[in-house]
Amino acid sequence: MASYLTALGILFQPVNFIMMYVCCLVGCVLGAIPGLSGGLGITLILPMTFALNTNLSFAMLLGMYVGGVSGSFIAAVLVGIPGSAASIGTCYDGYPMTQKGKAARALTIGICGSFIGTLVSIIVATLCSTFIADVALLLGPWEYFSLCLMAITMVIGLSNGSVYKGLLAAFLGLWLSTIGADMVTNQLRFTFKNTNLYGGINVVCLLMGTFALQQVATSYAKGNLDMPEVDAGSLKGFGLTVKDFMDNIKTILVSLFIGLWIGFLPGMGSGISNLIAYGQAKKMSKHPEEFGTGVDAGIWATEVANNAGVGGAIIPMIALGIPGDATTVLLMSAMTIHGLQAGPMFIKNNPVLANLIFGAVLVSAILIFVTELLTKRWFPLLLKAPYHYLYSAILMICFLGAYSASTSMFSVYLVLVFGAVGIAMEYFKMPGTPLMLSFILGSKIESYFRMGCSYAKGDMTSFVKRPISLILLLIALYSILGPVITKAIKSQKKAA
Amino acid sequence: MKKLNRTYVMGAVFIALALWVIYQTGMIPEKLVSNEPGPKMFPYISAIGMIVMSVLSIIFDGRKENEEKRAGAAPYLDGAGWKRLALIMVECILFCAAMNWIGFWFTSMIGMLVFIMTLRADKKINLIFAVVLSVALGSLCYFGFTRGFNIPLPKGVIWTMMGIKMP
Repeated sequence: MASYLTALGILFQPVNFIMMYVCCLVGCVLGAIPGLSGGLGITLILPMTFALNTNLSFAMLLGMYVGGVSGSFIAAVLVGIPGSAASIGTCYDGYPMTQKGKAARALTIGICGSFIGTLVSIIVATLCSTFIADVALLLGPWEYFSLCLMAITMVIGLSNGSVYKGLLAAFLGLWLSTIGADMVTNQLRFTFKNTNLYGGINVVCLLMGTFALQQVATSYAKGNLDMPEVDAGSLKGFGLTVKDFMDNIKTILVSLFIGLWIGFLPGMGSGISNLIAYGQAKKMSKHPEEFGTGVDAGIWATEVANNAGVGGAIIPMIALGIPGDATTVLLMSAMTIHGLQAGPMFIKNNPVLANLIFGAVLVSAILIFVTELLTKRWFPLLLKAPYHYLYSAILMICFLGAYSASTSMFSVYLVLVFGAVGIAMEYFKMPGTPLMLSFILGSKIESYFRMGCSYAKGDMTSFVKRPISLILLLIALYSILGPVITKAIKSQKKAA
Repeated sequence: MKKLNRTYVMGAVFIALALWVIYQTGMIPEKLVSNEPGPKMFPYISAIGMIVMSVLSIIFDGRKENEEKRAGAAPYLDGAGWKRLALIMVECILFCAAMNWIGFWFTSMIGMLVFIMTLRADKKINLIFAVVLSVALGSLCYFGFTRGFNIPLPKGVIWTMMGIKMP
């Protein structure tokens, strides 16, 4: 407790506080712009921290991290393009709600959901960091493989449209994830001697192509040239009542748990948790058919879950020295730069810095929450910008974002290719989310599967012999077969 | 002209892709590591999965689509829509090509103006404002990234060939 208070004292020193706040705001803006993210912000300020003291460096880095995750819902709600993978699910109900003229309500839910997710997750992280890390040590590659598989099948099973097309998209994503050098044998797969493909396909290219470029191109082609109207009256006040909150409390609690747990698992971040939480919220709802038309629960679920991943991802980073997501990899790099080593001894050796990390997330979350609420009324002004100006800027930033992700023209060309793939998928009525999710998880699924086989001396039955792995596999199977069987039973009853 | 069943087309495309993936996977040199399935397993799984799902989709979704067609479902895009789609995609291709040749700064300014003129459709716009916005936003992005964030952006092959040093 004493070290926590000392850490807070350090954070509230004027220079630390102001710099952290500035980074929160910059992170929020970067998170809101499709193609850019808080991770980019951390990458950009990382070299600056060489010359700064450790406390100030981490205050800035964590401010940027929290701002980036918290801001990513803004574009998803206002223009239906996710600021990052963390807000893909927010588009499904956030944007339809905006189209109904309730942009301010969608924004308020996003702001509150983000705040609740970050706040609760960082409190859990502060209190249970060491204990939770011990539990994760019990899981092996078998459980991680089954968990990744379950994540994909749950999303497919609960997504709208054909299960077969969803699975087809998932297999396409899985194949795309195999492109590049194989992680075990270093054999090149589907690279055709193109050095740009050796490291695999950059996720930013896939995201920019299948979401941003596809959306702009098809909106124009379909003649949807008007931006949604904003209900000016709803911009004033908080926009939500205690009843609205209580009506969704179950969704919030479940999403919190999902976000925390997935954020906590190594390599699985908010890009996955928001989709699983959305699927779960839909499954729990009495009216699942209303999802995708602008329901509150859809936004609560995704925003609480993706922000809960912040606290979740920090736990393994601090306690085990394993990054919870891509951004915590950067934070761990910062630790190395400052001569620190994350892992079981980190909290013992650096109690003040460990608590400063937890405290910085907490303070940043509060700062972002207050700032977003106060400035919320100006967010929808983005929609006042005429379609042709806004979408032209998005197209340009899309290519800029892809280039800056790898400083290569090849990434820019990939955006074009994936834009065409996204359009084709929409034409064929194939859902985009399974493609994205299986692409993100594909390399992990393969890696855990091969690790599991190797550890079990080639015995593939080890995946069903371990109880937790078996349970997860059965859930995965049920996620796919459940809706098909239910549908068949219903149609049989109807025929009878 | 008889309308195409989109699901059948999708199935054919994915089966062709999967067969190509299987052929290419077969050409990956085998480097055996004991107790390990090797680098070919997941590409094979994804290809076989694509074939199976394509066939199932053709059987079940294809039939459903035929029924929807009989019920008079609207086409994905009309003729003018396809033309608009082609136009915006061609502009994007030219934008990318120009990024490499004349650099990001000029491309962003010119490209943004072209995008505005295209996306405005029949709406009237203030041309001066559009030009100013394109120049301002393009320059802001270029100098913000190159100077502010130290991320190099393409300067343009053509200027290098001509010996002109770009900022």
